[in-house]
Amino acid sequence: MKIGLEVHVQLPTRSKMFCSCPTEGSAEPNTRVCPACMGFPGSKPSLNGEALRLGLKLAKMLGCSIPDTTWFSRKIYFYPDLAKNFQVTQQETPIGLGGVYMLGDKPIRITRIHLEEDPGKIKRTADGSSLIDYNRSGIPLAEIVTEPDISSPAEARRFLASLLADIRHTIDLEPDSERSVRCDCNISVGKERCEVKNVTGLKNVERALTFEMVRQTKILKAGGKIERETRHFDEERKVTTSARKKEFEADYGYINEPDLGVYHIAKMASEIENKETPMEMIARFVGDYGMTQEAAKQIVSTDIGLAGFFEELAAATDAETAKTFISGVISSHWKGFKPSRGSLDDITSMIGRFAKGEITDVECNMRIRCIMTGDEDSCRVCSDDLDEIVGRALDENPSVIADYAKNEKAANRIIGGRDEGDRRNILLRGDSQRRQAPDI
Amino acid sequence: MIDLSDLAKINERYNMFSEITPETSTDAEFAFSAKDNLTAVGFQARAGSAILEGYRPVFDAACVERMRSAGGFLVGKTNMDEFGFGSFSMNSAYGVPRNPYDIERSCGGSSGGAACAAAVIDGHVALGVSTGGSIACPASFCGVYGMAPTYGRVSRYGLIDYGNSMDKVGILSGDAKDLGRYLPLISGDDMRDPVSCNHPPLQKRFRKLRSVAVVRGEASAGVNSAMGSAEEELRSMSVDVETVSMDTLRYALPAYYVLASAEGSTNIARYCGLRYGRQDGDLTLKFDDYFTKMRSRYLGEETKRRVILGTFTRMMGFRDKYYAKALGVRNAIISEYKRIFERFDAVLTPTMPFISPRFDEISGMSALETYHADVLSVPPNLSGLPHISMPCGYSEGMPVGMMLVADHWNDDILLSAAEEWQKRFDARSPEVSL
Repeated sequence: MKIGLEVHVQLPTRSKMFCSCPTEGSAEPNTRVCPACMGFPGSKPSLNGEALRLGLKLAKMLGCSIPDTTWFSRKIYFYPDLAKNFQVTQQETPIGLGGVYMLGDKPIRITRIHLEEDPGKIKRTADGSSLIDYNRSGIPLAEIVTEPDISSPAEARRFLASLLADIRHTIDLEPDSERSVRCDCNISVGKERCEVKNVTGLKNVERALTFEMVRQTKILKAGGKIERETRHFDEERKVTTSARKKEFEADYGYINEPDLGVYHIAKMASEIENKETPMEMIARFVGDYGMTQEAAKQIVSTDIGLAGFFEELAAATDAETAKTFISGVISSHWKGFKPSRGSLDDITSMIGRFAKGEITDVECNMRIRCIMTGDEDSCRVCSDDLDEIVGRALDENPSVIADYAKNEKAANRIIGGRDEGDRRNILLRGDSQRRQAPDI
Repeated sequence: MIDLSDLAKINERYNMFSEITPETSTDAEFAFSAKDNLTAVGFQARAGSAILEGYRPVFDAACVERMRSAGGFLVGKTNMDEFGFGSFSMNSAYGVPRNPYDIERSCGGSSGGAACAAAVIDGHVALGVSTGGSIACPASFCGVYGMAPTYGRVSRYGLIDYGNSMDKVGILSGDAKDLGRYLPLISGDDMRDPVSCNHPPLQKRFRKLRSVAVVRGEASAGVNSAMGSAEEELRSMSVDVETVSMDTLRYALPAYYVLASAEGSTNIARYCGLRYGRQDGDLTLKFDDYFTKMRSRYLGEETKRRVILGTFTRMMGFRDKYYAKALGVRNAIISEYKRIFERFDAVLTPTMPFISPRFDEISGMSALETYHADVLSVPPNLSGLPHISMPCGYSEGMPVGMMLVADHWNDDILLSAAEEWQKRFDARSPEVSL
């Protein structure tokens, strides 16, 4: 099975690609529009340099070769959401050609990356008419096209998730912003391929591809023939349906966009320095800290900030200690951590104390939990009257100490029921061990 | 004060305007008109097309804006071939402008209304647009000066596109000095048109024309005779005049019609009877049926011909043979001009191979014969070179125009040549009877 994807990502510029309308703001239809993005006669496009720069960052991240000069083309097709009935895109000189993306150990070849403008949005109404909102018209898009190197729907999803994490990191795309990711999915089980157009979201990509895989396999098993066509994915019914037969390649009658010039981009491209991508970071963690691929991936994919803190901690203590705490207590409370009861520095110094043997791992974990969550129980046991609490418990049950020496389970008598959880259990065990044992 | 009270009456006879100001006078410093494919607040911009009936742009074209802010009063929008597709201004949905020297003859096109207004109205400055000769041709037929500057010299912001890589805003006037006065005013780069440019800027002191290379081609006897006298006159102005041959120029016409139609057909795509202009179709139809009906109904025959021609030249399998090849031809022609400009300030030819034809003669012409009329005016337009048409004689009582073409950015040499020429040339004026 061969799968190739065309991934469309909206670039996070403040204004649109060819006019100064804002890309975000009012959701009221047709409020972020002007003569240019509405295609009014007499208007002219003007390229937003930031769109070009962000596109080049992605081209570099994907290891594409970048031409010295680039220009735009007109792709002509009639559709109501396309204000000019042509889309300004890049046909002859995409900003990036021939890259490769490493999905773990597997290379996925990148055919090209090019820039283009987003069309408007069509809203079908109950009475069968359509309303068009041009707020989206002219928002810059990067289209990334892969070679058919992906071998299963699940792999396609993994690839997309991983690619998107890298894209977000490279161009500072908000994770949950309204900027969506759309995909055209090409899949062939046998010889002929079908294209499922405009699938939104990772889950749907996997679903659409899985449906297609099963459909094509069934046809082939029954001795049938796959017809080359464009298909549509119905999100509600989770099926693909035929949109149009594609006996010939669609002819868009491309010409060079004569309203825009030729852009000399070599200098701009050479000045771009990308941050390390999450995938590169994972590879470096495996090498530098002797981590497994999975452990590194777990840290990096939780959050880039967590990965950064891991590096600080490893420098302050050592890799092993940092690994233990980061993948344990710190990663489990990382999301939602607001430094109110203490900062990352406090956590670092706490782990420093543990490394020097000043506190046990149990206490260290408890104190970190207190800093990160502000959870009352954790904080109470971390406070200075901890000794008092434990001391009183032991005073009230003197026989426990003697029994504990023979059998550790004796401590359970004063720890309380199972429902009080492991927390106090651990604390009491730790404390009775540390403070009482010498007296026996 | 400028009296505008006669405008409507003049227009009744000549039909040079598709829309006129309701004012009858103005205190403005000067009056000007804009070709109807230039946007101007307060006027429709219909570009000679029925499909743009009712389009009221919300912004001024850059050239209109600059003329207005320099104290100009926009008196009206001038009639033209639909979207600029034509050489005789007969392809307009708003009537046909009539030649001031003989109302049974054409004003030329596509800026026919502009040339007519420049010839008929005293002290009038007309903003025109040239893609393949649309300023030079009507200037020649109407006996006025018409200048199309270097491509990019004047912002195209607000110009309704025909062939974007060739569209140029220029000026027509009965007085050569107006060209030198108003071209600097509308020139200069503009953020709103990325291909506008001001490097190098227009010279403040226009350089003198010292030498011309004459390229001979097929032209009528009357035109050749007027050109002969003009060459003599130029020599007497101590301009070196030498005959040269430029063989590649004969490829300019097919290359131009391929490129202009290819670009034009993509520009016409947006007119589908939605958002602006005509929107009175049956909205219960599916989109494809709706726009097909609207376009069939409201686009003119020549527009449809060029859309079909242009679409064909960029189709898969034909694109390399026509569109891509024409791009190459354009470069070859520019190189040929550059070779001539190493030795000469300008290239001289007649503007048109004949005087303005009568309407009945034009009706008998095939599309190809019509296209052939542009054979002399197309090469500089295809190459983005500044060119000017100047009245240089009369044949059968009709004006004959000669065209000077200069190197890129040497617009000033043409402006000074026109001013010098005007001092020498015994120009006639059309008899304007109302």
